Amino acid sequence: MSEPCTPARTTDFEVLPGTMGRQTFHDAALHLARTRGADLFLSGPGFEDAHRSLVALEPVDELLLQDPALLDRSCPGNSPANFRAGDQDSWNRDVAQRIKDFCFNTPGPALGWLGYELGMRLRGVPVTKPCELPLGVLRKYACLVEHDARTGRVRCMALPSCRALVAVREALARNVAQHPGLRPGLKSDLKPGQEPNASLDRQAYTDAVRTVLGYIRGGHTYQLNLSLAMQTRVQGLDPLTWFGQLLYHYPAPFYVWFPMGEQRIISTSPERFLQVRQGHVLAQPIKGTLRVAPGRPAQVAALQNSPKEDAELSMIVDLLRNDISTHCRYGSVRVERHKHVFQVDDLLQMASDVRGRLRPGSDCLDLLLGALPGGSVTGCPKRRSMRIIDELEPHARGVYCGAFVYVQGPGDLESSIGIRTAVHNARTETLRFWAGSGIVAASDPEAEYLETLAKAGKFLAGAHDHLA
Amino acid sequence: MPVGRITLFDNNDSFTRNLEHLLAASTGARVRIEPYAALRRARDAGGAPWRDLLDADLLVISPGPGAPDEYPAYAALSECGCPVLGICLGMQIINEFCGGSTVRLHPCVHGRAEAIRFQGGVQRVARYHSLGVDRLGRGLRVTLRTEHGVVMALEHEERPWLGYQFHPESFLTGNGGFWIRHALERLHV
Repeated sequence: MSEPCTPARTTDFEVLPGTMGRQTFHDAALHLARTRGADLFLSGPGFEDAHRSLVALEPVDELLLQDPALLDRSCPGNSPANFRAGDQDSWNRDVAQRIKDFCFNTPGPALGWLGYELGMRLRGVPVTKPCELPLGVLRKYACLVEHDARTGRVRCMALPSCRALVAVREALARNVAQHPGLRPGLKSDLKPGQEPNASLDRQAYTDAVRTVLGYIRGGHTYQLNLSLAMQTRVQGLDPLTWFGQLLYHYPAPFYVWFPMGEQRIISTSPERFLQVRQGHVLAQPIKGTLRVAPGRPAQVAALQNSPKEDAELSMIVDLLRNDISTHCRYGSVRVERHKHVFQVDDLLQMASDVRGRLRPGSDCLDLLLGALPGGSVTGCPKRRSMRIIDELEPHARGVYCGAFVYVQGPGDLESSIGIRTAVHNARTETLRFWAGSGIVAASDPEAEYLETLAKAGKFLAGAHDHLA
Repeated sequence: MPVGRITLFDNNDSFTRNLEHLLAASTGARVRIEPYAALRRARDAGGAPWRDLLDADLLVISPGPGAPDEYPAYAALSECGCPVLGICLGMQIINEFCGGSTVRLHPCVHGRAEAIRFQGGVQRVARYHSLGVDRLGRGLRVTLRTEHGVVMALEHEERPWLGYQFHPESFLTGNGGFWIRHALERLHV
């Protein structure tokens, strides 16, 4: 785990002349996604310390975490009968090494996602449900364009093999018609589908919450994140236009557009998972949600003073302190801006900053893989909470509750938690999405069900009422 | 006296690394983390693996999910003579070494800081527990309670065993190092 990584041959970014606004860059980004199949990591306006947007074109290499060699080789999560002490550590080391080789041994940053079920395997929790997607995907690109909304500057990295440079230059030179996705009031060609199919209906979800409350009273978990999955037909939906519409109407700091064949992954997450900059680690767990009533002032104090929300966040802060401590120096881990509040969609969210310094011998991927899945989407203690989640949720989580990652080097990483995330399937014309809420001892099952629906609101509204 | 080596037994908890950092920072000791499964295996193997595992100046039992009866291998620690500090579940385990029992709390308390009077001052400590001490084990003395009487700390009259129900390693606890130093003093480590 702590073998030194072969240093990557660095590929330099070139700063392009001039500056451009965030929305102009996002127009160009959507254009390049449409015409060149680009992958997008975009930060919406209005969120401090999330100001980077990325366009990645022409994948030159891809790491698909699903090949039999990786998963069959004595994966402890899959063969508990054959489990021997040390198997788990050795499997985790193998997976980490593959990901490190991919990220660090060739030039350029890597982009992609690591799913919740990869986290289950890393934590030694058996995976029992079939997933439509692989456990994770990372890509390297011939061309990567990065916009910094603080300065308006654009940087570009291109391998000599890159064929898209002209198209990129044209797109950035604003020779792009305004993308229809990024303007208000446009009708999409979406036809409303049927009511979504939920993996747990109201009765089943509230029953599951009651079961969780029993586990909490028995001391098996202090807090547990319970989700449901929804699937709906979206005949005629142009997912890229819809993605642009979501970004315009529901800005959030961590938007991702990541096509994979007939599947298009769309993430609109408000939550940073882990950031590492030159060895400085920042985790920003979110817990505590309050819906903003239309036309009423935001109830920031009500959220901060709620004992239930306070306890939920504090628990996850302690959990994140724990998870980064594994690879941080003694004495470096601290909590800052505890209980700061921000608004995303029509929800107030409460968050904290947990900071530390990577310890010598550990890199950002040791940290990331050691902390996956993020504590705010599992519960605490993590491993037993994940077993209970697996028992109560009939669906696989897949990309939901995994992490979207941008790996720049051993000491530099950005990542978000894969919540408020959907997968569009172009062949079946269906949209699959998930939503969940944190259950604690003081939870009311009906209220948790409504909070879960509120979080799915932008997809429900977005895919049916809002655009149609 | 400086503490050289601490072995911290991890019950698959999500606060163990916080405890490791606190122990290392407040004692300067080298902290070795061993999962509960390793303790169970070494106990079954006996001999050198068992002696090696217990070769430390202090043994610490981490918090964790569930109740003491899920962790029967810890009973073997009561025969080793080494000082033992138990946190949360760890304290309940010490209580059950001594024949005590554990009960569900009403209501359970998770992620709350509570001000507690101790040695003439007031200390803020973090509570995360669904279970608590019911019947106190033989030879144990309660040294700290909440105002509602819930046991927050206990120690053995003769053996070097001490437990905290609250979490000194939580960021909600005002001065975690104080509680570690206090334990070392009481345990003569």
